[in-house]
Amino acid sequence: MGACYLAWATDEKIRDRAANGGFVTAVLVAALEKDLLDAVIVVKKEDVYEGIPTVTSDPETVVKCAGSLHAAPINLTRFVVEFYKDERNKGKKIGLPAKPCDARGIIEQAKRQQLDINDVYLVGLNCGGTLHPLGLREAAAEIYGIDPDAVVKEEIKAGKLFLSLQSGEERECKMDELEERGYGRRDSCKMCTSKIPTMADLACGNWGVPDGEKATFVEVLTEKGEALFRNALENGYIEVKEAPEESLEVRERIKNAMVKRAEEWWQKLDVVREFTRDERLKFYVETLKLCIHCGACRIVCPVCACGDAAKCVSMHDERDDYVISMYNMIRLLHLMDSCIGCGQCEDVCPVDIPLTLIHRRFAERMQRKLNYTPGMSVEEKPPFYEAELRWHDIL
Amino acid sequence: MLAAVNSSGKAEAEEWQPKILAFCCNWCSYAGADAAGLERRQTPPTIRVIRVMCSGRIDPAFALMGFLEGADAVLITGCHIGDCHYVDANYKTRNRFEFLKEFVDELGLEPERLRLQWISASEGAIFADMVREVTENVKKVGPSPFRKSWKK
Repeated sequence: MGACYLAWATDEKIRDRAANGGFVTAVLVAALEKDLLDAVIVVKKEDVYEGIPTVTSDPETVVKCAGSLHAAPINLTRFVVEFYKDERNKGKKIGLPAKPCDARGIIEQAKRQQLDINDVYLVGLNCGGTLHPLGLREAAAEIYGIDPDAVVKEEIKAGKLFLSLQSGEERECKMDELEERGYGRRDSCKMCTSKIPTMADLACGNWGVPDGEKATFVEVLTEKGEALFRNALENGYIEVKEAPEESLEVRERIKNAMVKRAEEWWQKLDVVREFTRDERLKFYVETLKLCIHCGACRIVCPVCACGDAAKCVSMHDERDDYVISMYNMIRLLHLMDSCIGCGQCEDVCPVDIPLTLIHRRFAERMQRKLNYTPGMSVEEKPPFYEAELRWHDIL
Repeated sequence: MLAAVNSSGKAEAEEWQPKILAFCCNWCSYAGADAAGLERRQTPPTIRVIRVMCSGRIDPAFALMGFLEGADAVLITGCHIGDCHYVDANYKTRNRFEFLKEFVDELGLEPERLRLQWISASEGAIFADMVREVTENVKKVGPSPFRKSWKK
């Protein structure tokens, strides 16, 4: 465990816009202004339901993007990869606020030589989950009884989801209640067990911040994180104090509770568990036969790095008429060791195949068997590509 | 006597015979299959051999394609660990086979339909036994579900 602090931005403007202490924004602004980073990737808020990832070197833009956005479930990995595909950007340093799934995706891409992890500064964000924009719209109409387009602000605080209207009126509903009624977080987030981004350079969040204080709890995890933190502190962008013992405990307790809840959700959402062998096959055949092979899941997948020559595409032929296409078979096979369960594939699927569930079913048993968690460290290579293996421990 | 031969022949023709796809490496297991023939060992006529230069060339996707094409079982064979003509390629085979095994099980195919067997060039007996065993096991579980159902 790294050094832990409570930190907040010295700039009033940042603190007002930010969800907590404005630490993340202040650190990124400091790094840009003091030339530690060449660019940052931030999510520009369009409205409550939409955020657009933006590459910028302008500190003003970063300040404008402060504050959290729960209903824009974007994974930034592919944007980082695209950034480095441009020859002019080779060797540039970028930073970005990263949820655990962003950080894990970026680490998986680094393992596949798509980027140099030393160039990417990951300001990790604690994540309890994201909401699907469509789900939130429906919930606003059905449960909150308000026009979805009139919502100007959403906020998650103390297990409740608040929606604010233009008039300043605020409505609330418990997350648990929302989720029982089929709204709330995306399925992938409900079952996700990485809540604190211990694989990133800094881990920031409001878990463990004492009530009433406007600060961000920060854990410094790596040398890169240390550099970001020192740069902001020494140039007066942030103020810090040592995190008290009880803050650490509270943060740990929240994390453990969330992980436990996620495991329960996985038990609940994994409907295939109850099936017999034949029913399982029938389920996979009947859900995957809806696939129209648009390739969207491959394009957004944060761990896929095959590009145009991907086996799942080149071995697939629309004329084959297999009960499950080679495209789906190969994608499922190749993600068995690497799926991080981010749920991007299901979000973009035009025919709504429950891809998160299917990929997790295949990946979970393999990752458990291998005792391997993808996206935790660049040193651990994907087991599928290894010759000499940890099978020696098992066989 | 002629009638007996005919009737038994007819009965045998009616019995369902599985189609088994076997990948054999050029240096050991293909030679092992050859040895089984030279030694005049009886093997059921259920097997279709694809020769590859090395078992390390067998992508798990090939096995999956075999299943989708209607193979009732897929066998992956190669040199014993340590005997690989290409030094260490069969370690990779072993690694990938573990993925394939989990995949096939999760997909809902019976584990009997997939097998990894190391066969050296002189082990004709092992080759013949393997084919016999797999044929019997597959006969018990029946035709591949990919073959009989869901076809449009």
